[in-house]
Amino acid sequence: MMLGYIVKKEFTLIFRDIHALLVLFVMPTLFILIMSLALHDSYSQKMEVKFQVALLENGEEQPLAYTMLMQKLRQSGTFHFQSVKSESSLKELLYQKGYDFAVAFPADFKQRLQNDRESFRARFFARSDVSPRQMALLKGLYSTNVSKVLLEQVLGSLGVSAAENDIGDRIESRYVYKQNDKGAKPTSVQQSVPAWLVFSMFFILIPISNTFINEKRLGTIERIRSIDVSLWPILFGKFLPYFVINQIQVVLMIAVGYFLVPLLGGDRLQIAGNPLHIALMAAAVSFASICFALLIANISKTTEEATSIGGVSNIILAALGGIMVPKFVMPEFMQEVTEYSPMAWALQGFLELFTRAGGLSDIAADAGKLLLFGIISLLLSFYILQKGSR
Amino acid sequence: MSITIHALSHSYGADTPVLQGIDLRIKKGSLFGLLGPNGAGKTTLVSILNTLVKKDSGRVEVCGYDLDSQVQKVKACSGYVPQGYAFYPQLNARENLEFFAALHGLQGARMRRRIEYAIEATALEQKALQRAYTYSGGLKRRLNIAIGLLNDPRVLYLDEPTVGIDPQSRHYILEVIKKINRRKQTTIVYTSHYMEEIEYLCDEVAILDGGKVLLQSSVSELTKAGRAATLTLSGQPAQACEGVRYEKRRAYVDLSRGYDTLRRFLNLLEKERIEVLDMQSGRGDLEQFFLQVTSERLRDG
Repeated sequence: MMLGYIVKKEFTLIFRDIHALLVLFVMPTLFILIMSLALHDSYSQKMEVKFQVALLENGEEQPLAYTMLMQKLRQSGTFHFQSVKSESSLKELLYQKGYDFAVAFPADFKQRLQNDRESFRARFFARSDVSPRQMALLKGLYSTNVSKVLLEQVLGSLGVSAAENDIGDRIESRYVYKQNDKGAKPTSVQQSVPAWLVFSMFFILIPISNTFINEKRLGTIERIRSIDVSLWPILFGKFLPYFVINQIQVVLMIAVGYFLVPLLGGDRLQIAGNPLHIALMAAAVSFASICFALLIANISKTTEEATSIGGVSNIILAALGGIMVPKFVMPEFMQEVTEYSPMAWALQGFLELFTRAGGLSDIAADAGKLLLFGIISLLLSFYILQKGSR
Repeated sequence: MSITIHALSHSYGADTPVLQGIDLRIKKGSLFGLLGPNGAGKTTLVSILNTLVKKDSGRVEVCGYDLDSQVQKVKACSGYVPQGYAFYPQLNARENLEFFAALHGLQGARMRRRIEYAIEATALEQKALQRAYTYSGGLKRRLNIAIGLLNDPRVLYLDEPTVGIDPQSRHYILEVIKKINRRKQTTIVYTSHYMEEIEYLCDEVAILDGGKVLLQSSVSELTKAGRAATLTLSGQPAQACEGVRYEKRRAYVDLSRGYDTLRRFLNLLEKERIEVLDMQSGRGDLEQFFLQVTSERLRDG
C-alpha cells in the first residue's frame, strides 16, 4: 500500500517533468537516428559519398595498359576518379575544386616498368585533412590494379584468360556467430542502438538527482525521516519507477532501430540474441544506472552540482566505454581503460546479444560487474541518506 | 507534561557546542514559543526532539516516551512542519497528502478522514486539486502545516511557519494554528523570529541564546517584565545605576517595578550633567525584552 503510493508519486513526478522525458526518450532516439545514418557508409561496402581523386593527365598518348588500369580504378567503391588537365595547380585542385586526392603517374607505366624502372614513379597528393588510412587505401588500390593489369597482359600473351585466375573471386568470407547462424551483420545501427541505449539508461541520473536534491533542499527528506518509516521502501519506491522507465527505453530504442532507421534509409536492426537474455541484461544495466544516480544525488548538494557531476561523469564513462567511439577503433591502452567503465560492461553485454548471438554465459561477467557496481553505489547512498550528513 | 528536557547537550564536532545543558518543561496542550537569535540552537533542539539529530547527552521525554529507547513512539506522536516547503510542487495538495499519509501507514477510510481533516483545518478545500507550485506563499505554508497534521500528532513542531508571506496570510495561519491547538489540545512548539507572533500566539516562551536557555516563562510575565523606557543621552554616565542598562549613548530603564528606577536615573544624569535628548516608553513588548535579554548585537554578521 505504502509502496504503491511512493511509486505513484514518482511516476507522477516523472511524467509531469517534460524536460526529463525529453532527455530520457527523445535524446537517445535522435542519437540513434543520427549516428546510424551518419555511420551507415563506414560499416557498408558501398559508399554513397566517395573520395574524389583527380587523375592528372600529362597529354601523353594512352596505351592499352593505361586504359585498362583506369577502368579498374573506376570500379572502386571507395574512390571516384576523374581525369583533369594539369593546368590547375595542386592547391587549386585540393582546396578549391573539392578533390581529396590528386594522383600523377606516367601513361606508359608498363613500358617504364619493363625498361626503365627508375623513371617509373607515381605521385600521390592529398589534402591535409584526409586520413593517412585513406591515403594508404588509395595507394594499395593503385598498386594492386597495376599488378593486375600487368599480370593480365602477361597471361594474355600466353593465351591464358586472366578472368579465370582472379584471386579475388576465390576468396570466401563470412561472419561466425557464437551460438548459431542467426547473428547480425555488423552495421551502424547494430552499434548505435546498444550504445545510445546504454547512454540514455545512464542518463536517468539527471531526473533522479533533480527530484532527490529538490527533496533535500525543500526539507521533504527531513520530513520523511521524522516519520516512522524505513528508508528502504523510500529507496525502492524511487528505484521501481525508474526501472520501468529504463525498460520502456529499451523497447523504444529497439523499435527505433527496427522500424524508424530503415524508413530513413538506414539498415534495419537485427536482434541475434534471446529476448529474455536482453531483458536480463537490461535489468542489470538499469540496476547499475539507478543506483549510481542515487549515489550522485546523495553526494550532491544542489541540482547544479548533480547535473555537472552526473552529466560530466556520464559523458566520461560514455567516452571511455566505447559509446561515442567504438572500442575496436581505439588503441590498445584505451581498450584496456575501457574495461573500467560500467557503460563498457553494459555495451559489451548488449553487443553480445544484439550482434554476436551470445548467450547467458557470454553476458554473465558483464552483468555481474554491473550488479556489483550497483550494490556498492546503493549501499553508499543508503549510508549517506541515513546519516543525513549532507 | 508533553515534553520534558533535562541537561540536554549537543555539539557539532568537538569544538562547536550547540546546546549546553538545556532544561525545559512544556505543558500538555500549550502553545510554546521558542525564541532566540540566529545560531541560538533552536533548529538543533527541534531536530533532536523530532529524532532527526541524535543528542550527545541528557534526557528527553516526548508524550511520556523516552527519546532514546522509544523512538518509534516518539515519532508516532509528533508532527513536524519544517521551515522549507517540504512537499512536492508538481503534485497537488491532495496527492501530497495521500503520499505522506501513506508514509504514516494510513490507508482506506482512515486515510481519507485524516486527509479531509488536514484540508479542512488549513482551509485548502478550494485548491486541493491544483498543483502546489501554482500556490501563493500563504497557501504553500498551509499545505506544509496540513501535512504535519496527518498523523494526528499530540505534539506539533512548527519551524518558522510564516517566513516570507504577507501579513494577511500570516494572520490567517496564526488563526489556523490556534484552531489546531484548541480542537485537540495539540501541544504546539513554535519557533519564530517574529516576536509579535509569539506574543499573539503563545502561552509560554523560552529564550535560547548561545545554546542555553536564558529563561522560560509565560508570555504575559515577560511582556510585563519587558516594560521599559529608552533614553537617548548626550553622553554615557560614568556611574552605574541598578535597573538601567547602557548601550553607548542609549539607556534602557526597567519600569517593571514602577518609576523609582527612572527617578533615580534622572537624578544621576542631572548630577553628571548629561542631557536627555529623547525618551520613549510604553507597554513593554516581547521584542524589547528579547533584545534586553540577548543583548542587541548582530549574530550573523
